[in-house]
Amino acid sequence: MSDFLLLAGKVAADGLFAVVACIGFALISNASRPVCLMAGLLAGLGHATRYVLLHLGMGITSASLCAATLVSFCSMFCARRWHTPAEFYAFPALLPMIPGMYAYRTILATMHFLSAAEPSAREALLVEIAYNALTTCCVMGALVIGAIVPLFALHEESPLARWRHHRTAGPEGGDAEHGGGARQD
Amino acid sequence: MATERQTPSDVRRVSEFLQTFCVVMLAGGAQTLRVERNARRIGTAYGMAVELAMFSRHIMLTVSDGASGETCTAVRSLPAGGPNFTRVQALNALGWRMVNEHLPLEDAWREVEHILSLPSVPPLRLCLLVACANAAFCRLFDGDAVAMLLVFVATLIGFSVRQALSRVGMNPKIVYLCAAFCASLTASCGVVWQLGTTPQTALGVSVLFLIPGIPLINAVQDILDGHVLMGIVRAVQAGMLIAAIALGLSLTMLLVEGAGV
Repeated sequence: MSDFLLLAGKVAADGLFAVVACIGFALISNASRPVCLMAGLLAGLGHATRYVLLHLGMGITSASLCAATLVSFCSMFCARRWHTPAEFYAFPALLPMIPGMYAYRTILATMHFLSAAEPSAREALLVEIAYNALTTCCVMGALVIGAIVPLFALHEESPLARWRHHRTAGPEGGDAEHGGGARQD
Repeated sequence: MATERQTPSDVRRVSEFLQTFCVVMLAGGAQTLRVERNARRIGTAYGMAVELAMFSRHIMLTVSDGASGETCTAVRSLPAGGPNFTRVQALNALGWRMVNEHLPLEDAWREVEHILSLPSVPPLRLCLLVACANAAFCRLFDGDAVAMLLVFVATLIGFSVRQALSRVGMNPKIVYLCAAFCASLTASCGVVWQLGTTPQTALGVSVLFLIPGIPLINAVQDILDGHVLMGIVRAVQAGMLIAAIALGLSLTMLLVEGAGV
């Protein structure tokens, strides 16, 4: 039980620090205040989810993919609620999950590789460069794909969304008829 | 009809508005697809067809009036400037208002001028918030309290350098190089004097506030959207900034190499 509480505390702390990081980074791109706050909350949710998944033994790439997908789905609710495109919430929320340390280790290993004298040391460094560079690229790709695919799939004009809308609202109940104000995507 | 010819025609006026609209949105870091959709939507609201081509530093825009057969083609260059979400969001909302409320073009121009004059976050406050954010980011990479403090100070210095150099109009790559160098040099104190248990993390995280995350994400989305050219342009531009950051960081590493980095 205490183990569980300890883990819950760690997860909460992880989410909290992600909120702070996201708000600061979103402000560099001059995001407006409501967008910053919501993106921060989404970032906290996403990063905490990734922390739990990593704790459960999932790889960092798949964990990032799942977390980004979750952030993306939640951003769609924000978009509907505040009539702002979903990317404005989802993209800043991904910033704390960008694999900066792997990128740093790639550079560090490259520098050591260039100045290494012994072939055996070079071999080990080459493996480290490849591992870190590939992880950086894969996590980056997983984040963006995880965030974008739900947005594409459930965009108002996509077949999936039309089909869903057709089922819930009936054939003639389109959003367009209710004044386009509801659809600011 | 003769008097109408004296003043700019409707097609020309819509074209001029859309040129400014698209250029500001693109420079502010909007997705290419979004800019294109907005331009077409606004054109349709004024009864005109819009075709848009976007390149790395220019856009090409054709507005044509189906009824009179008049067309207007223009090329406009993109202004410099980093991502600005507030502008993109406000322009996107304005685009919708123009469609839904049939806003006269003069009112829309006034709105655009208002949006362009919106203030950004005060520099000092921004600097502090970014420093807090980067310190929190350091914690996410398992840095201890000493590392967080180092990152906080390093980010304060690095971000001030970036703001100061950007203000005097220095080339962005040089700005990023200098900011990364100053930030990492500050954080490298931790490595030199072995402060705390995770000085390496502090050194690595100290430059991460510079990473152009939003342009990178936009680049991937543009490529997935089919705007491959714009996607590659954005990826290359972001890649050059990352190379500048890496260069600044490696300069620091060369300087402190003897101290066990």
